[in-house]
Order: sequence, then C-alpha cells, then structure tokens
Amino acid sequence: MSFRVRLHSKFSALAVVTAVALLIAGCASSNSSSGSASSTQPLVIGASVSLTGDFADSGKAVQRGYQLWADTVNANGGILGRKVQLKIVDDASSPTQVVTNYQNLINKDHVDLTFGPFSTLLTIPASQVAKRYGYAFLAPAGGGPDVFAQNLDNFFFVQPAPTIKSGDVFADYILSLSKADRPKTAAYVELDDPFSAPIAENIRARFEAAGIKTVYKQVYPSETQDLSSVMAAVAAKKPDVIVGGTQSEDAYSQVKSLVQLKYNPAFMYQSNGANSPLEFPKNVGPQNTAGIFSSADWYPGSKASGSAAFTSAYIAKYGGSAQTVDDSSAEAYAVGQVLQEEAAKTGKIDNATIIKTLHSGTWPTILGNLSWSANGAPNGSFNLVQWQGGKLVPVYPPSVAQAQPVFPKPNWGG
Amino acid sequence: MHALIQGLILGVLTAGVYALMASGQTLIFGVMKVVNLAQGAMVILSAYLAYGLFTSFGVDPLLAIPVTTVAMFILGVAVQLAFLRPLHDEDRSELSLLVTFAVALLIEGFMSVTWRTTDRSINTSYANSSWSVGGYQITLVRLWAFLLSIAALGVLLLLLNRTRFGRAIRATVQNPESARLLGVESNRVSAIGFGLGTATAAAAGSIYGLLYPFNPGSHYDLISRLLSIVVLGGLGSIAGAIVGALIVSTSSAVVAATISPAWSEMTFFVILILVLLLRPQGIFGTTGRGAI
Repeated sequence: MSFRVRLHSKFSALAVVTAVALLIAGCASSNSSSGSASSTQPLVIGASVSLTGDFADSGKAVQRGYQLWADTVNANGGILGRKVQLKIVDDASSPTQVVTNYQNLINKDHVDLTFGPFSTLLTIPASQVAKRYGYAFLAPAGGGPDVFAQNLDNFFFVQPAPTIKSGDVFADYILSLSKADRPKTAAYVELDDPFSAPIAENIRARFEAAGIKTVYKQVYPSETQDLSSVMAAVAAKKPDVIVGGTQSEDAYSQVKSLVQLKYNPAFMYQSNGANSPLEFPKNVGPQNTAGIFSSADWYPGSKASGSAAFTSAYIAKYGGSAQTVDDSSAEAYAVGQVLQEEAAKTGKIDNATIIKTLHSGTWPTILGNLSWSANGAPNGSFNLVQWQGGKLVPVYPPSVAQAQPVFPKPNWGG
Repeated sequence: MHALIQGLILGVLTAGVYALMASGQTLIFGVMKVVNLAQGAMVILSAYLAYGLFTSFGVDPLLAIPVTTVAMFILGVAVQLAFLRPLHDEDRSELSLLVTFAVALLIEGFMSVTWRTTDRSINTSYANSSWSVGGYQITLVRLWAFLLSIAALGVLLLLLNRTRFGRAIRATVQNPESARLLGVESNRVSAIGFGLGTATAAAAGSIYGLLYPFNPGSHYDLISRLLSIVVLGGLGSIAGAIVGALIVSTSSAVVAATISPAWSEMTFFVILILVLLLRPQGIFGTTGRGAI
C-alpha cells in the first residue's frame, strides 16, 4: 500500500530529460523489433513501470511482483497452456512517457494484455490509453479518487479498497469497542496530500458521529520537515487517540516527536509509514513501535489465498525475509492472480472477457478477496495491523486477526 | 500556552543546527562571493556518512563528526578546485549558482544510487531522549546540537580572528587585490575557505540525521531555508547567520505549535520581506565588502 506520489517539481526537469533520452532510444531501437507478433503461442503482457525517477523504488518492486508471478505461472504450465511473456518498459516516473509506452506496447508490440504502472499520477493517463484500444487495465497501484472519477469500465484497482478508505478499518475497530473502552478524545494530524489527509478525515467523520470529541486537528504541508512543535501542540491536548494521516517520513517524525515529548496516547493510528515491516522500526527504533496501528493489504504471515506460496517464492527468487517483501510486489503479484482466476473460470483470456467477467463475483488473492464496482473501485476493506512484540500483526477484522488488539498502547520504549 | 512555550524551547534549540549550516554558507559567500547551493546536499551527504559509520561500524554519529568533517573539507576543496576556480572573476557569483546547483544534483544522484531513496534515520539509544524541566521537554539531541553549534562557531570565529590563516581570509574578503599584493595566496585561501564552509556541513549532518528522517531529496527544503537564513542575517556575516537561524527556527516552531504549520513558513517569509524592505543588506550585512 505504498502511495508515495509527491512529485517534487525539481525532479520533473530531470524526468523530462530522461524521458526524451528514452524516447530517442525507443525510436532508434524500434526498427529492429518490428515484425512477428502474430504468433498466438506465448501470452504477451505489457506493462510500463517506473524503473527510474521518483517512483523507482516502488516501480522496481512492482516489476519484481509481475516477474515472480510470471515465473510461477510458467513453472506450472502457463495460462490455458500459453506461456506468459512479460514486456516491461521504463517510464522514468513520467506521465507523458507512460502514455507513449502503452501506445507502443499496444500498437507496435501488439501485446495481448496490459498491466498497470505505479502511482495514481501515471495510472490515470495509462488507463485512458488502454480504454481507447479496448484493453482491460488491472493496476496494482494508483487508488486515488481521481482514478475512479474517470468512470472507466476497463479499469480494476487491485487492492482491497480505494486508498482514501484504507483507514476505515481502524474506525470499525474503535467503534466495535464497548463505550467504556473507547477513546473519548481524538487528535488528527494530517499530511496535506490526496493520499493522506482524506484517510484521517474519513476516520474523523466516523469518530465524531460516534461522539468521540475532536480536541485537535491540523493539516501540515509536505515540506514541513520538523513536526515537533505540531506534536507538542497535540501532546498539550492529551488526546486518547492520535490519528495520523501519514506517508512515510512524516510518520516517523510524528513518532519520534511524541517519544521526545514523552506523550503516550491510549491509541495511535498512522495510515501509512507504520505499515512498513522493515522501514518503520529502522526509522523510529524497534522499541518505539509497540501498539501502533496501521492499515495493510498484504503483510508478512498473511493467511490469504496463495500468500504462503508467494512469500516463499519471493524469498527464493529475491532473497531477504518475509519482512523485506515490499507490499507493492504483493499487489503486482495479485494482479496476475486475478488474471489467472479469470482464465480458469471462463476458459478464455481476452480483454473483452476480462472486462465483462471481473465486474461480478469475488476474486481470492494474496491481498484477500477482491471485488469491483463499475468504475473499478474495489468494494472491500483493508486489514488493521498492529505492532506487537516487534512484529506487524493483523488484529482486525476477526476473520483475518492473528492476535487480539492491544490497548491501551504500551509506553514508548516498552 | 504550554504548546507555545514548548514550541519556543524546540525552536531555540533547533536554531543551533541551522546556525551551524548557515555559518558555512555565509563564510563561503564572504570569502568568495559564491552562493553555495550544494550546502544542503553536503549536509545530507554528511548525514548519510554518519549513518553509514553508525550502522556498519557502530560509530556514534557525534563521535563520527571529526571524520566526516575531514571528508567534507576535502570534498569542498575538491569542488572549489575542479568547478569554481575555472570561473572568471567578473561573473563568478552568477555562474557559481549554476555550478553549485550541478554539484548538488551530482551529490543527490550519488546518494540515490548508493543509499537508495528510502528514508533513513540514525537511531542511537539517546536519539529520542529528553529531560523534563517543569513539565516541558528538552530533547537531548537538540540540546547537544545547540551546544555543539556554539562550540563549532566558536572554533570558526577563533580561526578567523586569531590565526594567520584567518587574517588572510578576512583580508581576502575585505580587499582581494590588496591581499594578493601583500602576499596572500588568494587561490589557496579561496580553496581552504570553501573547504571550511563545507566542513561545517559535517557536524550539521550528524545532528540532522539524529533529529529527522532524511532521503537524497531532503536537501531541497534545507537549502531554501539556509539561503533565507543567510539573506535575513546578511550575506557574509556569521553573527547574522546565528540571528537569522534563531528568527527562522523560533518563528516557525511557535507558529506551527499555536496556529498552523501551513503558516509557519509564510510567517518567516513575511519577516524576511520586511527586513529586506527596511534593510536590504540583511540584519548584519554591510553594503560594501566588509568583515565576516
């Protein structure tokens, strides 16, 4: 569930230069790669992924997920007897290059199917290209409201819920507590970003309707590098629950500031950042993670369909441990899973069938069971995870919980 | 009220870190009339070096400062020799903007490739410690940063005012031609002066890494703030850098704690514009060439 989309404008000049260079390189090589795409044997799937530029880290994680799925499926005989062949091209995190890439994949390379790029910024123009040519567009990332506002019937966001609803599961959990256990006062500290503040605002609406008093609310711009004075203002209000609409850096800063200010709320939730099994403890210190809640779709030790196989295959191919698997890789892998199940169900693998079939039914993936509305928005909800004993554990809803949620939050460093 | 006072404490302590970075910036301008846009990138590079020394060898980031200081000094001298010396005197100030920005991008690219773009923090056992004094929290790292900055600035001032080399620098600042006529090797002074300025980035980097998560792109926000501090205090004035850092840091902390972080930058820029309207050379700046 990484949705880092803050595009530093200073980077964009660099991105343009890279894009132009790529374009030239693309033109130069296109002569040599024309010709025999008419063979029906392999199933060619094209995707543009950010291998360079702002989204490079996440883009590479997406690439790993796609590749791992293709390897797995090919080892088991392919889809409907056809070997999967991936054609992955780099878009340098540029919304113009991504358009060129999908146009080339569809018109020049004549790929059979397309998978999505990373980030809302790139998914929007890319999904429009796919729509123009009647391609189904399964995207592992890019769940911002603008994507669904396009109302494209060929688009499917392969995550449990639209991004801004990812925090709803925390509200569900808090409101499931008895009146005596529920927090009475709440503070909301939100990053001014379409993927952060709205998540916290959705929670605030639910909490206020249930009578949880808002004692503090603040939105900070993304360039706020020192959050200590904001958190000092939060601590002065002594809220029972702190809801952070966060990305990554700011999530770490919130925690570090609260530790320094020695304020420990009974409940603490962060929409993003705290759900990174590797980065979060590294940045805030493992001893300060205990009891913090966050949202996740895939997490280490998930019991969802195929997750154990995915985890061991990932470690076998890329090394590391379950804790180091990037959730973007899991989301990309799930894209392939959906396709595989569609083929198994209908016995056909073409864009029209995919678009028609995926709009109904539920589809089990390593992210849980997915289903979609007409505009490609998923109907499910994220899982509530909590840091317990130095690990990220699913605690809500009960159907996926592997441990009881712990409250009140243990003290910092404890 | 509680939040206001806590904000004030945080602001004053954080000012030390900025004063340290800005003093290097202003020194470089004073000596060479070069605006070093790579100063922020060098701070972040130092933070990465301290991070690397801490995670690989367990070296405490504060104890790593002498090592990183030497590294940044050498880097500064190298940058001056390779990129700045070839510039002509008459358009050095203008061209130096482009050259040092290119250096900043080079450093950023190097950091992205070496340490990737994920956020890093230096987490020592004391990174988040604080003392409670009358219900307010004084964070340990910030206090040390403050003291360290005062010490480093003290060393810098001693060097400038009490040594032969310092005299040579000041002479070069005041009148480069006369200094040269009197036997000051202005090329050497410029190279070492630039190195000294970038060396202040080392201590600032260790502190920055202890205080905040950082990534290769962090230097953009840093450099804009540094430039503002230096302009506010007066280009070329170390006392001005300290006062500028105090104004920037406390105003943004207090406004963030009491009104909104969205207004904190704004407030500071209003102060900056007012100062520039009333005193275009900055608080401590002089219109002619003058003392550092």
